[in-house]
Amino acid sequence: MVLDTPALYILLGLIVYSIAYLYYSKYVDRNIWQSDPTRPTPAKLYFDGVEYFPVSKYVLYGYQFKSVAALGPIVGPMIAVHFYGWLPALLWLIIGNFFIGWVQDYSAMMMSVRREGRSMGPIVYELLGGRARVILLTYLVFYLIIIGAVFAWVIISIINGVPGVFIPIIVILITGYIFGHMVFRLKMSVVTATLVALILVFAGIIIVTAVQSLRIPPTNFLDPGLIGTQPASWTVLFWLIVLGVIYYLAATTPMIRWLLPTVYVAYLPAIIALAIVIIAALLSFITGVKIDPTRQAFVGGAYFDPIKYPTTGPLWPMLFVTIACGAISGWHSLISTGLSSKQLEFETDARPVGGGAMITEGIVGLSSVAAIMVVAAAAPPPAGAPVPLDYPRGAAALVNALIPLGVDNWLFFYAIFVTIMGLITSMLFVRVFRMVAAELFPTPFNHYLVSPLIWIALISFLAWLGSWTNLWLYFGGTNQLLAGLALMLVAVFLASQKRPTWYVFWPGAFMIVTTLSAILWETYVYASHLMQGKYLAPQAPVVDKFGATLVNITNLFSAVFGIILFILGLVMAYYLFSGYFKYRGQSSQS
Amino acid sequence: MSKGGKGFLSKIKDALSEAVYGIALHGQVSAIKRMKMYTEYLFMLMTVGDMLGIPLVPPYYTLRLLPYMVPNIKSWKLRMLRERDVTDIITG
Repeated sequence: MVLDTPALYILLGLIVYSIAYLYYSKYVDRNIWQSDPTRPTPAKLYFDGVEYFPVSKYVLYGYQFKSVAALGPIVGPMIAVHFYGWLPALLWLIIGNFFIGWVQDYSAMMMSVRREGRSMGPIVYELLGGRARVILLTYLVFYLIIIGAVFAWVIISIINGVPGVFIPIIVILITGYIFGHMVFRLKMSVVTATLVALILVFAGIIIVTAVQSLRIPPTNFLDPGLIGTQPASWTVLFWLIVLGVIYYLAATTPMIRWLLPTVYVAYLPAIIALAIVIIAALLSFITGVKIDPTRQAFVGGAYFDPIKYPTTGPLWPMLFVTIACGAISGWHSLISTGLSSKQLEFETDARPVGGGAMITEGIVGLSSVAAIMVVAAAAPPPAGAPVPLDYPRGAAALVNALIPLGVDNWLFFYAIFVTIMGLITSMLFVRVFRMVAAELFPTPFNHYLVSPLIWIALISFLAWLGSWTNLWLYFGGTNQLLAGLALMLVAVFLASQKRPTWYVFWPGAFMIVTTLSAILWETYVYASHLMQGKYLAPQAPVVDKFGATLVNITNLFSAVFGIILFILGLVMAYYLFSGYFKYRGQSSQS
Repeated sequence: MSKGGKGFLSKIKDALSEAVYGIALHGQVSAIKRMKMYTEYLFMLMTVGDMLGIPLVPPYYTLRLLPYMVPNIKSWKLRMLRERDVTDIITG
């Protein structure tokens, strides 16, 4: 029976995405933006051969996809399927991307193209003023801290849960340096260097997979007797210190010597891994991988008691922030207005580059839902918490049915894939934090050797003593609010140009209202625990080890975090809505 | 093969190889170009900064270097006088 495998649902998603791309995006492109291949783009107007120069749409599509797709479309669906069931997760991924996701990426790119290739910051400054830009950058600081903490937890729980994964990761990091050295110092050809790098990377993976004795260190090696990865354990602290060293090096060494070559080396196996899992999900009706009985289509949605369900919340608004990337993500607006808009050869390329890359990311999200559907929940939902290992386990089950190399081997491979995706993204985040700090922070906190330490300390504190699913909801809130703000910014821009705004205004308004509500709910969860002297379920090990006071401090910190995010978001929304109605008023008068 | 152009399979192959380049290398190449550009622009700022109104007396060598700088002067001026912030450099 096809209905008890993920294949049909994933196929349905692909069909809807095709309609979004072939019809809806074409309609918007032709009728609202009226893109014109003969109109000069910033790449041609300001050609400098460095930042502004025309690049093929296929190259830009690849670049855009690489820049937007990381752990987001994997982790979000994993949590959402656990708490709400696979049907709401699937529907939000499909409908969200159809009406909002690609709309944001594409529209932000077109807005930038029509504004001389300017990025988000300068456009916000131009349309809404300097204060709005400072709020945007401040928001970015919080975003980077929260996402860093969540990714650190996901990475550590996989490294800890699958012994030996860290060894191929180290091999990849060292290979990145060797690749950079071969290309930039020894002047070797990229093809030769790539071959050497691939041999090293796959040798690292295969050797550790084959030789069981190399699978070290064991799970919870500093906390004997502990089951699973738990906050406040010494093993987690050890891995946080290791990650801290890697992040610090990534933030302070020249990008071309280590970070960028490592991204290149790491993405090659990652893309292969992603492609295989998507194919395996589509062919699951042949391979016979069935939806696990513990994964129901609909689990529940009325989580109104913050004490009983501390790690989730009501279906609205929380589902819409739980799945961010894959459905809609604010980060993409920064990428769309960053390099891509400056290098579009023709205006008409914005649709395949901006819209196409986002729709592809939606497919990654669908594959993640498929992987979670086929694997049993470690702890029954909704009371039990999801674990980051669910995705590698599900992907391994799906892929092993297609290419039977052993579930254990595939689990190892996908654990490496998830870890390295999270790691390289975090390495880029710490660099972005460094740049934002240089602009916003006072001396000496803006120094490039000091600001990464602040980021590492904050994310370590949150990851070690916090609750990762709650942090994820904060991340989703900030990310989605950024998306809502980007959509409203596009609406302000279109209003200033006297063009129709409905297709961005309503999605933007929906996202702003939903995400502000989600941030408020999450703040309420922390505040209610604080006021009742209780702690979130995942914080139990912290209470046992360090006492309730530390947990209360962490929760106070998190609640204050939420209040700041809410106020910043509200002020930014005020600027955007008032700007929108100002321009609409002007256009109706004229 | 279609008339006067590449065949369908050839086009698919080109598109795929370009997309792989975009995924793997485009960001890296852009970052390297940018790094070189910033170094060159810093040098230009020190030697011909008077063109932007920075009060420095052009040294003798500026004249000798000028022919090498001419191709970059337009984009250099544009970039130096342009509104920029963190979101411009977020992608690397």
